[in-house]
Amino acid sequence: MSAKLDPRTKLYMILVVSAVVMMSATTPLLWGVRIAMTMIPLILLVAEKRYASALRFTILYAIALVLTFRFLSEESTGIVESLLIGYCGIAVQFLPALITAWYVVRTTKIDEFMSAMQRMHVPDGIAISLAVVMRFFPTIKEEYASITDAMKMRGIAFGGGRPSKMVEYRMIPLLFSCVNIGDELSAAAITRGLGGKVKRTSVEELHLRVFDWLLILAFTAAAGIFVVFKYIL
Amino acid sequence: MNKKGLTPKDFISIGIFTAIWFVVEFVFGMLGYIHPYIVAAYVVMLPLAGAIPMMLFYTKVEKFGMLTIMSILIAIIMFVTGMGYLGAPITILSGLIADLIAKSGNYKKFPKTVLSYGVFCLWICANYFPILVTADAYRQDLVDAGYSAEYCENLFRAINPHTIAILLIVCFICGCLGAFIGKAAVKKHFEKAGIA
Amino acid sequence: MSENFIKIKHVHFKYKGSEKGLLDDLSLTIPKGETLLLTGASGSGKTTIIRLINGLIPHYYQGDLEGSISVAGYDIVKTELYELAGVVGTVFQNPRSQFFSVDTDGEIVFGPENIGMETGKIKERKQDIVSEMHIEKLMGRSLFELSGGEKQSIACASVAALLPEIILLDEPSSNLDQGAIGNLREVIKRWKAQGKTIIISEHRLWYLKDLVDRVIYMETGKIRHEWSGWEFAAMDSEKVRSLQMRPLKVSDILASDFAGSDIQTQEISDGVVLKDFYFSYNRKPYLIRKKKFQQNDEGLSLCIPKLTLPKNTVIGVIGHNGTGKSTFLKCVCGLEKDCHGIIETDGKEYKGKERLKICYMVMQDVNHQLFTDSVQGEVLLSMEEEDKERCDQILQSLGILEFKEKHPMALSGGQKQRVAIASAIAADAKLMLFDEPTSGLDFCHMEKVGGLLKSLADAGNTVLVATHDPELIELCCDYVLCIENGRVGYLRVVERS
Repeated sequence: MSAKLDPRTKLYMILVVSAVVMMSATTPLLWGVRIAMTMIPLILLVAEKRYASALRFTILYAIALVLTFRFLSEESTGIVESLLIGYCGIAVQFLPALITAWYVVRTTKIDEFMSAMQRMHVPDGIAISLAVVMRFFPTIKEEYASITDAMKMRGIAFGGGRPSKMVEYRMIPLLFSCVNIGDELSAAAITRGLGGKVKRTSVEELHLRVFDWLLILAFTAAAGIFVVFKYIL
Repeated sequence: MNKKGLTPKDFISIGIFTAIWFVVEFVFGMLGYIHPYIVAAYVVMLPLAGAIPMMLFYTKVEKFGMLTIMSILIAIIMFVTGMGYLGAPITILSGLIADLIAKSGNYKKFPKTVLSYGVFCLWICANYFPILVTADAYRQDLVDAGYSAEYCENLFRAINPHTIAILLIVCFICGCLGAFIGKAAVKKHFEKAGIA
Repeated sequence: MSENFIKIKHVHFKYKGSEKGLLDDLSLTIPKGETLLLTGASGSGKTTIIRLINGLIPHYYQGDLEGSISVAGYDIVKTELYELAGVVGTVFQNPRSQFFSVDTDGEIVFGPENIGMETGKIKERKQDIVSEMHIEKLMGRSLFELSGGEKQSIACASVAALLPEIILLDEPSSNLDQGAIGNLREVIKRWKAQGKTIIISEHRLWYLKDLVDRVIYMETGKIRHEWSGWEFAAMDSEKVRSLQMRPLKVSDILASDFAGSDIQTQEISDGVVLKDFYFSYNRKPYLIRKKKFQQNDEGLSLCIPKLTLPKNTVIGVIGHNGTGKSTFLKCVCGLEKDCHGIIETDGKEYKGKERLKICYMVMQDVNHQLFTDSVQGEVLLSMEEEDKERCDQILQSLGILEFKEKHPMALSGGQKQRVAIASAIAADAKLMLFDEPTSGLDFCHMEKVGGLLKSLADAGNTVLVATHDPELIELCCDYVLCIENGRVGYLRVVERS
């Protein structure tokens, strides 16, 4: 059986994780819960055969955790340490959300996503825009890589030392490419019927399976523990 | 032509520019972890850096909803990346107001665009929301989470109910200033090249 | 269904914001089931006709339109674009930008989902299309990791999934290599057998010549010539050339069987020597110490221990897609940091970043390498010290002096390429690399590029040009370098009859 989750479960995971991320852990129990919650998307990443990113995140998270607990404390001062503490703190704080988001974006097809949005009665326009955002990140990455190559070749990677030029040389060609790609993308999508009056269908049938319910339950429990131990007890 | 409301092409444009704006914001946002004062300096950096794509965006859609939807998308993305949802209403509200201002100028009058972008940028301050609303709890949280007391001290020295007004004003001014710079860049490149 | 399936009557069209009209009183009728080829120079109105039939004009691209267009009984001007989705399908030029999803499966079902088809039926249809087009091995993959040809296959499949009666292809082969064009040809052949009406706008003619029923040659917005398919196929090469069309027959300069005498690189006494170019995408050098790639490493994407290139010549770099042509170019000019090759020329050695100084690559998508707001600024940016006089000279020699003040992005594709070349000359690059400079160009422009490459070589540069266009090799190359699996297959002299 595959570990394929319903996109709504994934969205719920994000919801819970980002809520928990905002409430920082104060006791060992809460730390435990939080680490356990981070493990779930990591395991799911492995289940989806995304070993490289799972490994990278695990190492990153582990390093941040160890550093935070072992070496840094409230009293640490000084440039290096406050830099380190800044990064480690932030990594420990936000990595769970980042990992979950990464997992969701990487394993959800645009189609599934659109279908889930429709099920949740999100207006089509917003669903289309969001789908484009998801599709566009890799495109920006590709375009940006070509642009930096070109900059290196012309020896203007640092804009001749002027920060404004550094931004301009990167931004302008990137915008030109994105606008062009966007135009072509829209034309291709529209000639294939995007934006019609009929209700969109989807081959991705959404079912909440046992596994989905288990995860939803687990995440709800985790959120519950956090709320109870932090604000009630 | 523009009476029809948003077309699929517009929704795609909104998506593209949101992606670009988010990438810009992410790059600069990373700097914030170096020092808390940089977190406060977001109000200067982000409006200026984001101005070029935004000014181009203003010329691309020119219909009501463009900024509102963008702000909704930003709120969703912020939420997904773990920045919380406390700021979401403010983000969407600033998007909506910015949209209304731009609409009153038919998305063509530059002074209205300046104003509109200034207001739009105020959502950046929504990121500070948790710091303000739950100041004491948040501070304790940060310390518990492993931030140094020094970092927190600085953070709260930079961002607190007294400074937030200043931050908002600075953000707005930088937004307006950014609009001029962005417009200049759009004129210099995109209008000259005939695609804006 | 009427005999004349597509009727275009007395159409005038002018794009919004442009001064001159693109179509001038054009009338054209196309019967059901016909395969029609539109050809002619860039800007002659081929693409505009395609856009009229799929309704992108006037609904997406705005402008002044007069006349009437009816397609399969629909009046295009009055029909919304989404209503045409199941009637007209379009395959576009650029495989990179025409997909909406990020995965191949989602892309094929995208159209049928949009028109609200029942899910069971969509699945069936997807199965049919996939097995019909033999693209099973592409299923379940990310679109971002596919090659250009594979992306174009998916684009064809996603158009076919809507079962349109009419299929339009707008320069579909522009970004494809020989093999992928062969696949495209098969796809078109199958559509033709299914009785679809097919309209293709294209510069490359060889792969279509025995497929089409009718050929229309456009010039400045008008139909200038019209031939039946067999008339066209039988046309002699002189006439083809006089009409500035690309050849109908590709002589035997295909990647696999290019005939010519091998030259041993030792024979070249004074050349550009490339040494120790090894590179792999698969194995990143790890964490702490960067490991240098070695000749006997496994899985190398590029492995060139030593290669001597004849100086001041134009060398065509050929080989199938994915055999390392682009990797080779990138490594030579030093863009791949982990490739530590050495370039030796004029008794000097260039290592690492120094290579960037003597090399200059004109990329396939020139848009990425234009940064400033004027052509002049672009050239000056490449100079160590700004020298306006020299800049003018360079622009003059390339015939783009008149655009000096214009924004590079406002120029046509061919002109942009010249701007990029101008900045390469300004940077004093001795080794100039071109990645597919003629993909999507018409014959006239290709001839110009060929001439330009030759003159660059005559002026003392060594030019490497990666290309899929046998025509270009015939036009300007002195040598052909074949790359096979990242290794040098052969280096041969081009013998002209």
